[in-house]
Amino acid sequence: MGKKKVKKRKYEEDDSYINVEQNYPVDDDDDDFEESRSGVVSLPAAAGRDLDRISGSSAGTDAICDQFGAKDYRSQMTMKKDHACRPLYVAPDGHIFLESFSPVYKHARDFLIAISEPICRPKFIHEFRLTPYSLYAAVSVGLDTDDIIEYLSRLSKTTIPDGIIEFIKLCTQSYGKVKLVLKHNRYYVESTHVSVMQTLLKDGEIAKCRKTDSGVEDPLSVSTVVGENVLQLNKGDLPDGSNSNPDGDAEVPKDIYDFYEHLDKEDDKSTEEMKVVSFEVLQEQVETLQKRCIQMEYPLLAEYDFRNDTINPDLKIDLKPTTVLRPYQEKSLRKMFGNGRARSGVIVLPCGAGKTLVGVTAACTVRKRCMVLCTSGVAVEQWRSQFKMWSTADDSMICRFTSDAKDRPHGCSIAISTYSMMGHTTKRAYESEKVMEWIRSQEWGLMILDEVHTIPAKQFRRVLTVVQSHCKLGLTATLVREDDKISDLNFLIGPKLYEANWMELQDGGYIARVQCAEVWCPMTPEFYREYLAIKSRKRMLLYVMNPNKFRACQFLVRFHEQRNDKIVVFSDNVFALKEYAIRMGKPYIYGPTTQGERLQILQNFMHNPKVNTIFISKVGDNSIDLPAANVLIQVSSHGGSRRQEAQRLGRILRAKKGSLVEEYNAFFYSLVSQDTVEVAFSTKRQRFLVNQGYAFKAITKLTGMDDEPNLAFHTKAEQHQLLQKVLAASDIDAEEELVPGEANYSSRGSSSTYTKRKGAMSSLSGADDSVYMEYSNSKHKNNIHDLFKRFR
Amino acid sequence: MNGIERVKLECKSLHQYLCTLPQALLESLYEHPATCTVVFRELPQLAKYYVMRVLFVDKPITKVAVTSWATNEARSEHTEAVAALCDLHVWNEVILPGGVSSAYSLSFTFRKNLQKTLIGGGESWSSTAHLGPDKHAKDVAELDKYATERWEALLHFLVGSASNSAISQDLQDLLVQSGLIRVGEEDGRRYTNITAKGFQFLLLDSGSQVWFFVLEYLNWVRDRGMNLVPILRFIFELSFSSVGKVSKVCSLPNVTWSQSTKAKFLQDLPTDGKDDRVLQCLQHFREMGLVMQRKRTSRRFYPTRLVINIASRMQNSSSSALSTGFIIAETNYRIYAYTNSELQYAILALFCEMLYRFPNVCVLQLTRESVQTAVVNGITADQILHFIRANAHPDMLKNDPVIAPTLADQVRLWAMERDRLTFQEGVLYNQFLAQHDFEVLRNYARELGALVWENAAKRNMIVTKDAHDQVKRYWKRYKKESGT
Repeated sequence: MGKKKVKKRKYEEDDSYINVEQNYPVDDDDDDFEESRSGVVSLPAAAGRDLDRISGSSAGTDAICDQFGAKDYRSQMTMKKDHACRPLYVAPDGHIFLESFSPVYKHARDFLIAISEPICRPKFIHEFRLTPYSLYAAVSVGLDTDDIIEYLSRLSKTTIPDGIIEFIKLCTQSYGKVKLVLKHNRYYVESTHVSVMQTLLKDGEIAKCRKTDSGVEDPLSVSTVVGENVLQLNKGDLPDGSNSNPDGDAEVPKDIYDFYEHLDKEDDKSTEEMKVVSFEVLQEQVETLQKRCIQMEYPLLAEYDFRNDTINPDLKIDLKPTTVLRPYQEKSLRKMFGNGRARSGVIVLPCGAGKTLVGVTAACTVRKRCMVLCTSGVAVEQWRSQFKMWSTADDSMICRFTSDAKDRPHGCSIAISTYSMMGHTTKRAYESEKVMEWIRSQEWGLMILDEVHTIPAKQFRRVLTVVQSHCKLGLTATLVREDDKISDLNFLIGPKLYEANWMELQDGGYIARVQCAEVWCPMTPEFYREYLAIKSRKRMLLYVMNPNKFRACQFLVRFHEQRNDKIVVFSDNVFALKEYAIRMGKPYIYGPTTQGERLQILQNFMHNPKVNTIFISKVGDNSIDLPAANVLIQVSSHGGSRRQEAQRLGRILRAKKGSLVEEYNAFFYSLVSQDTVEVAFSTKRQRFLVNQGYAFKAITKLTGMDDEPNLAFHTKAEQHQLLQKVLAASDIDAEEELVPGEANYSSRGSSSTYTKRKGAMSSLSGADDSVYMEYSNSKHKNNIHDLFKRFR
Repeated sequence: MNGIERVKLECKSLHQYLCTLPQALLESLYEHPATCTVVFRELPQLAKYYVMRVLFVDKPITKVAVTSWATNEARSEHTEAVAALCDLHVWNEVILPGGVSSAYSLSFTFRKNLQKTLIGGGESWSSTAHLGPDKHAKDVAELDKYATERWEALLHFLVGSASNSAISQDLQDLLVQSGLIRVGEEDGRRYTNITAKGFQFLLLDSGSQVWFFVLEYLNWVRDRGMNLVPILRFIFELSFSSVGKVSKVCSLPNVTWSQSTKAKFLQDLPTDGKDDRVLQCLQHFREMGLVMQRKRTSRRFYPTRLVINIASRMQNSSSSALSTGFIIAETNYRIYAYTNSELQYAILALFCEMLYRFPNVCVLQLTRESVQTAVVNGITADQILHFIRANAHPDMLKNDPVIAPTLADQVRLWAMERDRLTFQEGVLYNQFLAQHDFEVLRNYARELGALVWENAAKRNMIVTKDAHDQVKRYWKRYKKESGT
């Protein structure tokens, strides 16, 4: 019940932020979520705690709204005398505001990322928010309750509201006290807190799970654990940031500085000894134990002591000597391997910032059998080549398992596959069934989950039942979903271990400097009249096919082709995609395009100087790596999805050569038809990026467009022809493309819930999805192939 | 027409203001040496030189001679200088005896009094020496506090926020007269409402605000049929007491100097020898916070920093000494305002959505709605941006430009969204009985180029207002012809 309430509140809060949200179709829905909650992992009650309720009931300090509707907290906090040199404000509702120009910014930033969720990080003042999940994450990377409260109050300009302190205590005190450790292939429950252990053992169910040699009550075994730095990295020329003295010491209040040092040391814990108590658990009872512990509000942190794992063979892979990690990549991995063991969790890095390298390094550190799961066949190929590029792994060690490529799995140590392959439930071909059997029988050391935000909970759960792994690492760029279900990943995979700041990476030259622009395309009167008249989904076609939009797109493509840029044009709507691409004579990729064709087009795009522009539907949103691309034009998009906007921007974020020469070296255009629902969508979509500090420039008129000769739809007659064509199109054309794995795809009521794309599927099992087939048959018979012939 | 009041708040410089005064009034102003000095200082550089050149020459100078003073390259400056002198009636055009050539002569009173200030003579300026030391002497901080309090009370009244800020009827009248508020009546209760002009006024920096208000005050005094001369003199004298001394504080780095001038800042003036009108004016100024007088009957008063701002304003340099920058504007349209001032908070509320208030800082959000509400209230996007820029936090000033271009663009675009429609006046013709009638008239209007819109199916048409008479005449003639 508590959970429900939280969900509702979250929406309200979002609304107050920009109150356009509820008018839009909520996307990224997975209907199957509710049922999944009753599955293997349930959520601890503390995770559903409501900060407002706590602070409201305990201290009676409900926010007083002043005459202008602002929450007035002045009565609840008092200013410290030396507030000028302290960097943050903590609001009783859990929002934290951090001044980035403060001398102690650096100290505060790392701490806040550990304990709270960043909400927006523009140039001057960053906003964070304390949530039960973020505090859970903080505990699991080794901070304890007192440290959090102490440091927070030292950093704050004011006194900390009582409600916040209580909230932190509530959310952290029971978390992170108990760990489930796999040592010598036996499970142990481990804790540094004897009292907690005793509480647990008093519980009948847990006592049953305990493994005893003779049925006699053993005393708890006490041992000392020595943490060691296990992360072996090739040090670059960069000086280690943590050792250098922070500049401007004079302004830093001493207590903050001291504490920072203290935390820093704790982070490394290089040779610190800790007394721990532990008991062994019956292997078959592990799940019961986990469930029970969550009910008792002591969720078990899963840690993998891979160096003491003697059962699973070590792999012989290392990073190549030439591989050097960037500082933030190193920092994120430190969080993962902080105490000499591997923690499960999610690392959030912007697209193009080198997530793959983080994954490869993690695999090389654990050095156990490793399973990589990603979203598409193209991504599988990319992971494989990245493994070969950064590490000493060779083809014999890497096994791909996709519909197109099935390497012989036996004896291999790194398996790369897709979520849909793993989650597939219907009958498989004999060969792939064998492979699945093998995968099920293995004990995996590390599972890397690429683009982890995309998986619906249900599918994810299915994957977890197939792959038994000790440690899970999720990688993503955008931990946002319109439905906020992202938080449940915390308990399915693990807490968020690290989240990078986009602007700082941009300033460091690690990702491209992008000029974002929203191009306003006025609707032509004829199109607008029809737009107002039509109420069905075809409205969408009218604003996507707006002749002025087409002209703007054509103009931009020409402009950037002259600059020798590589351009990617995105359109969610397939009708528009084909119409645009064919009229401009450019290659395009969409759902029904086969794997081979895709690779061919992408290869041409990368290396052929004659192919500078490609059109992609939303199949290209995730994990298609286009290193060359530096211009992105978005023609149509999926409603108001913030995630899609960020993922698309990610396609051009990879750092470009000569990054420091020009002010901007990549361009992101979003074409918006004025006065249509698109305008509101676009505002909402940009919210994530705007909160990361990106600025969208509104271009009301493209200068030079009127002078440009030979743009299409110049005459009224041409425009009228186009209008006729659009009006003649069926409602299905107006639908967005259905991509397998997307939530609404599965809810179409087809018998096989998760399937591969058509071309791929038929080769695998012949069990084509009927809805999908019909849809593709009706349309692409006539015009799909002619354009691609030259690439064959 | 389009619902939004379009008023531009005009703030004249001293020179422009003086030009609007009639010659007789100016002449009587020049009776006063302090005024002559102020006017002299206001003149363009070249004009000052011209005045000095003829100060001791009693005869008019012919135009030809004057023209010969400047080289051809400096012709425009010359014209400007002569125009300024004539506008202020410092120089008057006279026809030389013989009536052939015209000449300029320096105003007699102006000459006399400027000479006085330069070479001495005349009565000494008022001083409080005879009153002895002030028992209730105040220091600078107290004076500043007083001035700020009073001025903000006035602004608060304008915003209509704090109820405790009562101001006198006279000042309320003044606010109405200057168009900053409008008064309405509802259920017998009087209420006041801020106008578009009032909003614009709020967004000015405090120096400009005071100067604007003083100008309005002068107009108000004049409209009541009172003599402007003693009041103007009083203002000039006041500003003079600060212009000469205090404005040096900022320009001279020397510490001892600034300390000594600081002491002079606390200069007090006697109320003796002022006539009633001036004393009344003094009370008004006291209420505005321009001067401080302990009690109404007190025989001395202190000019405050606000008056000094008037002085600097006269020289067209706007400075707001009362506050340092406090606003941070982010690219995600967040505004953070480091302020405890209720007034600044209330002003920000004019165009922002308020989110949080902490001690010392408030968190605001610029949204499409909030900006458009402001636009409806008569604030322009540029004024919002100017206000943010003028009050930008020191850390934000390091940016170039201060406000991120995307933010500025977006605010403008939001404001412009309301401007998408253009309006055209016209007259509707309808209820034609026959299609043919309609077509005849429509064709006629179209030939005239006066047809704005037509709907043949419903037999409606609109013609421009200007052509309405002509079309109507044609219609009557047509009816008559077709009727017979």
